[in-house]
Amino acid sequence: MYCVVTRDPIDAAALMQRVRGDTDGAVVVFVGVVRNHDRGRPVTGLCYEAYEAMASRRLQEISEEVMARYELGDIAVSHRLGPLSIGEVSVAVAVSAPHRDAAYQASWEIIERLKREVPIWKRERYGDGGEEWVEGNVPPPAASS
Amino acid sequence: VLFFAVYRELAGTHELEVELPDGSTVARLVALVRERPGAGTLPANPAVAVNQEYASHAALLHDGDEVALIPPVAGG
Repeated sequence: MYCVVTRDPIDAAALMQRVRGDTDGAVVVFVGVVRNHDRGRPVTGLCYEAYEAMASRRLQEISEEVMARYELGDIAVSHRLGPLSIGEVSVAVAVSAPHRDAAYQASWEIIERLKREVPIWKRERYGDGGEEWVEGNVPPPAASS
Repeated sequence: VLFFAVYRELAGTHELEVELPDGSTVARLVALVRERPGAGTLPANPAVAVNQEYASHAALLHDGDEVALIPPVAGG
C-alpha cells in the first residue's frame, strides 16, 4: 500500500505499475484533474493545502479499511499539494484486484472518503482575479476515535 | 493548536500554544481560543483532531497533545 501527499507532479501510470500484480486481472486508476470552471465561474488555477501528517495517515487508514473489505491486490493513492494549473493531476487512486468489480467499488469508496475525511483544502483562482477557499465537506464527527 | 486554510486566516496564525489543566475538554480549548482578540469569528463547533485523529469536543486533553481545528475538507 502506498499513500502520500506530495508537492511533485503525479505520475498515474507509475501508480498503476506500483499496484499491478500477476494475480490481478484488473487495475482501476482514477485520476482527478484541475478543470477550468467551478459553479459557473472560470477558474485559472488552484492551490491545495493540507495538514500533511494527518492527511497521509488518514489516507493510509482509509486504504487499510477498504483493503480489509474487498478482495484486492494493492492500493496506491497520491494527492498533490501546492499551486496547480488547469489540466494538472490533483489526485490519483490506483486499485488492483483479481476481478474488476472489487477494483471499481474500492476505487470509488476511496475517492469518496478522501473528499469527506482527509484534511486537504483547495483555494481557487478565478478569471476575474478573485481567490476563494472552496466550500468543503464537514468530516464525520470523531470519524475514528 | 494548529489552524489550517480559512481557519488560519480567521485566527491570524498557523499555530498557538495554549496552557490548560490536564484533563480539560476539547470544548474548553476551543472556547479559550475563540476568546483571543480577532479569533471570535472562528466557528464555535469546528471539527477537531487530537494527535492527528478526529476527536469529539468531549475528548479530554493531556500535556503535549497536538490539537488541530479542521475546516470542512475539499481534497480531490
